[in-house]
Order: sequence, then C-alpha cells, then structure tokens
Amino acid sequence: MIEIKDLHKSYKMGSNSLHVLKGINFKVEEGELVAIMGSSGSGKSTLLNILGMLDGADTGEYTLDGVPIKNLSETKAAQYRNKFLGFIFQSFNLINYKSALENVALPLYYQKVPRKERQEKAMKYLERVGLKPWAGHLPSELSGGQKQRVAIARAMAAEPKVLLADEPTGALDSKTSYEVMDLIQKINDDGNTILVVTHEEDIAHMCKRIVHLKDGVIVEDKKIEQVRAEQYV
Amino acid sequence: MFDRDIWQEIFNTLKTNKLRTFLTGFSVGWAIFILVMLLASVNGMQNGFVGSFNDDATNSIFVRPGTTSKAYGGFEAGRRIQLKNDDLEYIKKSFPEDIEYISARYYANATARYKSETGSYSVQATHPDHQIIEKTVIISGRYVNEADVVNKAKVAVIGRKVAEDLFNKEDPLGKFVEFNGLPFRVIGVFTDDGDDNAERRVYAPVSTYQRIYGNTNNINMIALTYNPTYDLSKALEFSGRLEDLMKRRHKIDPDDQAGLYVWNYAEAFDDISSFTAVLKGIGIGVGFLILIAGIVGIGNIMVFTIKERTKEIGVRKALGARPRQIVNLVLLESVFITTISGFVGLLFAWIILAAIGPTIETPAFSNPSVELSTVVTATIILIIAGVLAGLLPAMKAANVKPIVALSDK
Repeated sequence: MIEIKDLHKSYKMGSNSLHVLKGINFKVEEGELVAIMGSSGSGKSTLLNILGMLDGADTGEYTLDGVPIKNLSETKAAQYRNKFLGFIFQSFNLINYKSALENVALPLYYQKVPRKERQEKAMKYLERVGLKPWAGHLPSELSGGQKQRVAIARAMAAEPKVLLADEPTGALDSKTSYEVMDLIQKINDDGNTILVVTHEEDIAHMCKRIVHLKDGVIVEDKKIEQVRAEQYV
Repeated sequence: MFDRDIWQEIFNTLKTNKLRTFLTGFSVGWAIFILVMLLASVNGMQNGFVGSFNDDATNSIFVRPGTTSKAYGGFEAGRRIQLKNDDLEYIKKSFPEDIEYISARYYANATARYKSETGSYSVQATHPDHQIIEKTVIISGRYVNEADVVNKAKVAVIGRKVAEDLFNKEDPLGKFVEFNGLPFRVIGVFTDDGDDNAERRVYAPVSTYQRIYGNTNNINMIALTYNPTYDLSKALEFSGRLEDLMKRRHKIDPDDQAGLYVWNYAEAFDDISSFTAVLKGIGIGVGFLILIAGIVGIGNIMVFTIKERTKEIGVRKALGARPRQIVNLVLLESVFITTISGFVGLLFAWIILAAIGPTIETPAFSNPSVELSTVVTATIILIIAGVLAGLLPAMKAANVKPIVALSDK
C-alpha cells in the first residue's frame, strides 16, 4: 500500500541545513496497523507530513497504492489527499461552527458528492463511531473523546486507502485514549490501513507493528502481539 | 457559487464578527453614499444652470452690430455697422435649412400713459417669431402677428407689471394706451420667468416702430433659433457660417471681433457642460478615493479573518479542498460584504435624494438626482471592488500550507 525508498528530507535553518530524514526505507501492506514511535526531533512528524502529501521529500521515492507521489501541484495534491488519505489530528481540528454531521460530510463536499448523499453517508459513519445521537451538536458541545471520534468518522467518510493519525490520543486521558484506540482497532479489523504516530508505549503496543525512528533513521521495525484496547474500556 | 455550504460559511464568519463586519461594511457604504451624493449634487448644479438659461430658447443665436476695429475692404476702422430689414431677409434666404425662427428687434423707449397713470418702459419691436425665441408666455390676448407687421398696426403686448402699473384692476385688453403720445391698442399681456424687469417691457410690431421713427428700415438686432435637431458642434458650425456671411456682407474683416457680434447660446452651454463635466470628474474622483479606503478596509478584515482561520483552512486542505475552492470562498465573502454594504449606502443616498431633492429649487442648484446608469455603474464598481479587496487575502489563504494544521504548535 505504501512504499518508501531512500527518503531524505532536510530543512534550511538560516545558513545551516537540518537533515531530518536520512534515508528511510519503509513498506506498509494493506490492512496493517503501524505505530511510528520516536522522541521529539526524531523525524516522525516530518515522515507523516510527507506520507500525507503535506510536505514534499528532497530525494527518494514514495508510492501510494501504486501511484508515484512526486512533484504534485497544489490542486493534484488536494485531489490525492481527498481520495487516498484520511487525517486524524491530536487536537481534532473540527470546524467549530459546523455540526458533527457537517464536519464528517466535509471531505465528501470536496469530492463533490451531492448534499443529500453526503449527509446520508456522514450519518452512517457517525453511527459507526457511536455518535449518531450527537449528529446535530457543535464540537463545543462534545467531550474530547467524542470530538476525536467525530474526527475519525470524518477521516473515514471519504473512504481513503490509508488513515494517518498524528498523536490521536495526545490530548485525551487514558480511559478515553483506550476508547479511541479500541475504535481504531475495530476500523483496522475491517481491513483499513492505519498509521499512528505516537510517543506513548501503551498506545504503540495496541498496534500490530512498531517502527522506531531515531535521528532520522529507522532503528527498529518489528511486528508485535497486539494488545486489545477493549479490555481497558 | 450558489452552494448552500459556501453561504453557510460566509454567514457564519460574518455572524461571529458582527461588529467588525459592520464597521468595514460601513466604510464601503459610506463611500458609495458620498459618491452618489456628489454625483447628484453635480447633477443638481447642472439642472440649476440649465434652468437659469431656460428664459430664452436654448438653441438661439443673437446677431448684434458693432463698430469695426480694423480697416477692411477700403473702409477705415471705426465704422458703425447698421443692420437693416434686408439683412433679416438675406439670412432667412441664405439658411433656409438651418433657421427655425427669426425675428428682428428694434429698441425704443416709451413714456406710456393710460388715463391718469404714466410710466416709462422699454419697447422691443419684433416679428411674430420673437415670441418663441424669447419664450414669451402670453397670459391673456395674443402676441404680435404677421398681419400686425404688414399693416404696421399700432398694437402692443405689455408685460404683467406694465398692466399692473397702468391699468390697476382694469382689463387692459382692447384698451388704448399712449406711447409717447401715440395711441396703441393693447392686444396681449405676457409674463416672464426671468425677473420683474422683463415684465416691465412692451412688445410691438417691428414695422410700426420703424415707421414711427422716421420711416427707417434699421433694426438693432436679429434673434433667431436654429434647427433644434443640431448638436453642439453643428450649432457652432452654423453660427460660424452665419458670422462669416454677415461679415462679408457688411465688409468687416473676418478677424474683426468688434464689428459684429454673433452670440450663440450653444457656446454658453458648451462652457456649462464642460464645467459640470469637470465637476462630475472631481466628484467621481473623490468618491473613488473614498471607496479605495473602503476597499482597503475590507481587504484588511479579510486578511485578519484568514489569519484567524489559517488552521481551519489547513484542515480543509488536508481534507482535500483545492486552492481554487478556498479562493472562491474568500472572494465570495468579500464581494458579499462590499455589495451588501454598498447597496445600503446607495439606498440611503437614494432615499435622501428622493425625499429632499425635488424640494431644492434655487437658481444654481435644483433637483439633485441620480440616473439609473449611475446605480448600475456603482453596482459594477462594488463587485469589482469586492473582488479587488478579496483577491490578495484569497491568494494568501490559498497558499496556506496544510502542514500548519498538523502542527499543534
């Protein structure tokens, strides 16, 4: 599903250049649930940005579902993001004046799905994350865990190939975190490919594979025994 | 453009920033208000000027003789030019296409007496056409007619003031009044918008007065109106031809300004219209400058809004919003604010003009108003202004990197 070959990325900091990613080789198969771990400055966020087409690599190859991702125009990148990727953010990033339902429907709006169909589909995904009764509520009327579940529904609404989650539990207490991870595991059980960036060991162990980044290189890449979050809920 | 979601978003941002939206909208509304008021004022001035000339037909030309200032054709300078009946006939025959009405004027003064009342008035002895050229309004009786001229009848059309002075409450029609001892029958009374002096005047047949004053065929002035279908340039061209012809006839140097005066109202109108055109230009210029301030204001609020919404725009882009869609959103919002507030300004200006405009009626300023074309132009200007105001902020918004939405710093 995802294939990365010898990826390099450096940022210019005045006269110095900061080499953040120093040759990443990385492959994700369909249906995997991968945790990307590393301390701050390890390059994990940069990697996620490149995977999310929010940033470009300097050198190296990136193939997503067989499509080479290279030299994209803004419009093309927007199209690919919409088609291939679903984002889950640490701070949820819901649009505060739109109801839960409208938030979930937003990616479909950018896919030019007709309004009625959009709302039906959005409702289906809200139901899946267990928030159907809250469809008409504004984000400010929801708890943190509910917001993240709306965000997950939104990420899934466009039926992307890959879900990218950047510290999805970073702003939540541990109980809510497990609830969210439980949801992510269940979505993964349905066959969705999910990448989770985290620095929390317990969250990482709820995935099926852990990739450790350190100083811009992958130092460890291992399959693990998945800890089900269900038991903590 | 007529997408429910886009409008929902626009209304939302406007709703959350009510005061800010109002203040910026106000600047544009105010600018349009001033622009319309300025244009209406210029219009009012124009109306006033035109109105003050309306005393005479606006397509009239007056030919007055003078004294030559240059030697020409064997004559020395300082020769007095005298117009005669022949000149009138000559002009009439020379320009059958161009001339609408033509009349001679013969000036005299008369000491008038009716019963015990006396008064001194100026007499203008004219042809029947003169009524139309001077726009003389007859309130009772009639004006001098062709038969009066042919018969050299001793008839007089007296001004309203003259009638008041001499006849008090009596009806002057058909009564005989003495002018310098000669009895004239009053055939009409006229009024004039001009002023009281114009109504202290007496009209009589030109031939009558020419006979009284020594059987002369001299005339003091020729007044005429040209074909009313002529535009300004054609009118000026005609008065030029007329002047050339008359100067040749009287052997006046073509460059001699003093020998013969041809006074064309069109010239005065030319001056007025160029004057009001300049005023209009200034009005539009000032209005535009104020409007630019309004545009900058709107641009400012949009930049601000976008700065506040950077993260939201980033999220939208991460969700697959194309740059174009972001640009459209911002532009539409900007056009919306400008147009709505501009229309409010326009409406206010219109209401004020409709309410007080018709009541203003002074010589230099009357009935300020705006034409539909001004309104249409203002609307187009507003939409363009809205696009201009939104363009920079929109591009800024489109260039927001979605990466900022991911970084929680």
